[in-house]
Amino acid sequence: MASLSNSVKLKYIKLGYQYLVNHILTFFLIPILMGFLIKILSLGPDQIYEIGSSLHFDLLQFLGSSLMIIFLATVYFMSKPRSVYLVDYACFKPPASYRVPHATLVKHLRLSNKDNPEIVEFQRRILQRSGLGDETCLAPANLYIPPTPSLEASRAEAELILFSVIDDLLKKTGTKTKDIDILIVNCSIVSPTPSLSAMVINKYKLRSNIKSFNLSGMGCSASLISIDLARELLQVHPNSCAIVVSTEITTPNYYSGNERSMVLINCLFRMGGAAILLSNKKADRSRSKYQLLHLVRTHKGADDKAYRCIHEQEDTQGIQGVSLSKDLMLIAGEALKSNITTIGPLVLPASEQLNFLFTLIGQKILKLKWKPYIPDFKQAFEHFCIHAGGRGVIDELQKKLQLSAKDVEASRMTLHRFGNTSSSSIWYEMNYIESKGRMKKGDRIWQIAFGSGFKCNSAVWKCNRTITTPTDGPWLDCIGRYPVSISQVLDL
Amino acid sequence: MAEISYICKRTVVSTKPVQPGKTHPLSALDRAMDHNRVRIVYYYRTPPGREVGEVTKRLRETISEMLTSFPMVTGRLQRNEEGQWVVKCNDAGVRMVEARAKGSVGEWLKSVDREKELKLVHWEDMFHKIYFWSTFYVQLTEFEEGGLAIGFSCTHLLADPICATMIIKAWADTSLLGEMPNPPLFHSSLPLIRPVNSINHNPYTHLINHYKSSLDNSTPVTNTKYTTIALLFTNPMVQACMEMARTHPEAHGTPIFPSPFEALAGLFWTCISNVKGWREGLINMSICLDMRKVLGLDEGFFGNCMVYNAVRGGDFNRHEISKAAMAIRGVMEKMDSEEIMDLIQWLECDSNRSSVLMGGCEHLICTNLEDVEPYSAKFEEGYAPVRVSYHIEPVSTKGQVLILPAPPEEGPLSRVVMVTLPENEAVKLCKDVRVLSFSPTILMGFNKN
Repeated sequence: MASLSNSVKLKYIKLGYQYLVNHILTFFLIPILMGFLIKILSLGPDQIYEIGSSLHFDLLQFLGSSLMIIFLATVYFMSKPRSVYLVDYACFKPPASYRVPHATLVKHLRLSNKDNPEIVEFQRRILQRSGLGDETCLAPANLYIPPTPSLEASRAEAELILFSVIDDLLKKTGTKTKDIDILIVNCSIVSPTPSLSAMVINKYKLRSNIKSFNLSGMGCSASLISIDLARELLQVHPNSCAIVVSTEITTPNYYSGNERSMVLINCLFRMGGAAILLSNKKADRSRSKYQLLHLVRTHKGADDKAYRCIHEQEDTQGIQGVSLSKDLMLIAGEALKSNITTIGPLVLPASEQLNFLFTLIGQKILKLKWKPYIPDFKQAFEHFCIHAGGRGVIDELQKKLQLSAKDVEASRMTLHRFGNTSSSSIWYEMNYIESKGRMKKGDRIWQIAFGSGFKCNSAVWKCNRTITTPTDGPWLDCIGRYPVSISQVLDL
Repeated sequence: MAEISYICKRTVVSTKPVQPGKTHPLSALDRAMDHNRVRIVYYYRTPPGREVGEVTKRLRETISEMLTSFPMVTGRLQRNEEGQWVVKCNDAGVRMVEARAKGSVGEWLKSVDREKELKLVHWEDMFHKIYFWSTFYVQLTEFEEGGLAIGFSCTHLLADPICATMIIKAWADTSLLGEMPNPPLFHSSLPLIRPVNSINHNPYTHLINHYKSSLDNSTPVTNTKYTTIALLFTNPMVQACMEMARTHPEAHGTPIFPSPFEALAGLFWTCISNVKGWREGLINMSICLDMRKVLGLDEGFFGNCMVYNAVRGGDFNRHEISKAAMAIRGVMEKMDSEEIMDLIQWLECDSNRSSVLMGGCEHLICTNLEDVEPYSAKFEEGYAPVRVSYHIEPVSTKGQVLILPAPPEEGPLSRVVMVTLPENEAVKLCKDVRVLSFSPTILMGFNKN
């Protein structure tokens, strides 16, 4: 009983402290304003007139000060970066006949790996603990016996995903193809000639002076890199809109070799894609869903271990695949810490920053044995979209950032329903939160994505208008079933 | 002539996931049919102007939808604690093979024989890891100049030919209508509601003895080259056969007409005995009948429900078709629900015995598949199958006769008879006087080339 009342008291003290520090300016200004008003009101009207005429307003001073005010205002508004709005986005819903249940995948692995049952058993164990459900999808080339990845099949998959997701987006936003000024497509593994962005331009007959970019090889965080690029371009080009398309083509990914570090791709990566419409037009402000507040990119490539963490290579038998090192979690943690160090001051309320500062002073200068203070990001954000890289990544981040199960629900459920769709997974998670009706006006969302390199990129969005359910999207037919509880080890 | 080139082999799964942990138990009749397999080929014409590959693509999507209603089809076999087979519905999928053939379906049908037809139905024997062996196989062969052949094969452990036909019909309905009008029902076991006074009931031993003898006499299947002949008996031909097979009982003057099955089975029983050189009496024959109506099962029942019974052929000679037909009728009448349930109980008790390999028993097998309706399986409006062939393997050493319905336009009494015999005997059968007297159309004979 005593401890309960103590903890309640502590909670109120904490709340009071946070409120005080976060609104410190208000706390200073209000007494001053009150004092001023009382002083003014205590004076009579004659004395006010006297004070007013003693200021000696003559024309030159008046004009000069007005000019100064106007000049300062113009400088301020000109130098302010253009706001970037996310008008809407669309996620790809794979056809149900592309579904890959666990038993089918294990069987395929067995059939294509007849000589090495241990590696198949290893992959089966990974699948059991992966957190993926039975409805994730792969391109049909992976279900052939033996798998037949060809350039044509990769192109066909790219066409399917890109065209359906862009059609969806154009319909939702009512955009005409001639109005698209900037096009950025990112797909890490598949990069044919002509590029995927050229494929989109050809299909939709976009303008000849369009600014198109195709980013390849940038891993699972490439979507936020593309958003960053779009944002920078939108600073330079007024009154424009940009389409960012993120996808990962699964056709060539099947790894049939025996290296344990390279088989995770088979078990986790699945088909998916997303298209996002960004704009800096004032007219789009009222109808857009989100506004981009911050975007922070951190690259740990200078460190050799981080660079080799996710490495595409040929194994001892000459089969190409992507190897993931055992230090992945550690490096991800380091990269996240770097990213937080930059983004923290931008988003955290003053109370948290002070706490962090005090703990830092205590640790480093006063040499007290205090644990490093982990800022409470739940005060800065209402929703979190952590890239669904795998169960381990989500667990690790949940622990590090001290998030509740509800905060990471979007990530876990996206991993279960769609698998690791690489760069587009943060958009599926965003759509999950919207479909659950949790997205209200003014909510702030933090998207964190990790990728090879090793990169950690985060974006902060602010919700512009409350999004009502049911929302159109890939979760439409199954949102009622979620959240599901995912067992630690599936029975396969 | 027409060559088949295989394009790819893949797995197709259902569109909705199966609830984890679901299993489909097998009944005693199912387990009795282990080591046997059913292979069916459906031939279709396709509308003109279709690109090769388009039909296959569409059928792939519709089979995924159909499989959602048949979780046991996409499952895998496993042994349970008692060592018996059950199907673990783990969503593993069915194997699909896509192929192309030269020429058109019409040309193919003119010159097809057993060996070539079986190339249209992919099948893989169970290899060591049973858990990864697919129990159902589908092959889609598109003919370059028009036409489609759908080959469907499955282990007899899970489905008999009637059940397999039902699956294909469900697939066709899904393609045609976009949904299934009659989703199947799955009974956990065959109904075993016994009447109250069963304690004093003497089990009917004839049926049980027949199964017992096949268990004891299982000889391994030999490598004889078998040929299959398919003969089409149109309405008037079947009527003539029934005429020939009628009996005049001594008391009244009205003749008893046998059913088309009894008449044709009687005819072929006598002819095949002749061909095999039996001068005295007829060879022993097993008839295989569908017991769904007898047991009062729903038409959506999934599983095996065909029972074998022996017809002794020692008493009468090979010319008396009417007596043969009567003997068959006599045996059929004795197979009522009581006896079937006795058989099922007996099979349940002896569940640890090795299964009946009907091909190993020394009988000619005659299977009645009159009630299947394969010609109603339309994948596209206006395109019913032009021909359907059934094969049950392995073939019994003495041969096999399947009595199937004919395309509906030939009439309600018309039948297709598929006879599988060693090659030399098949040749003799085609020249048999009595068979030729009806002048049936030879749909599938010997490869003329």
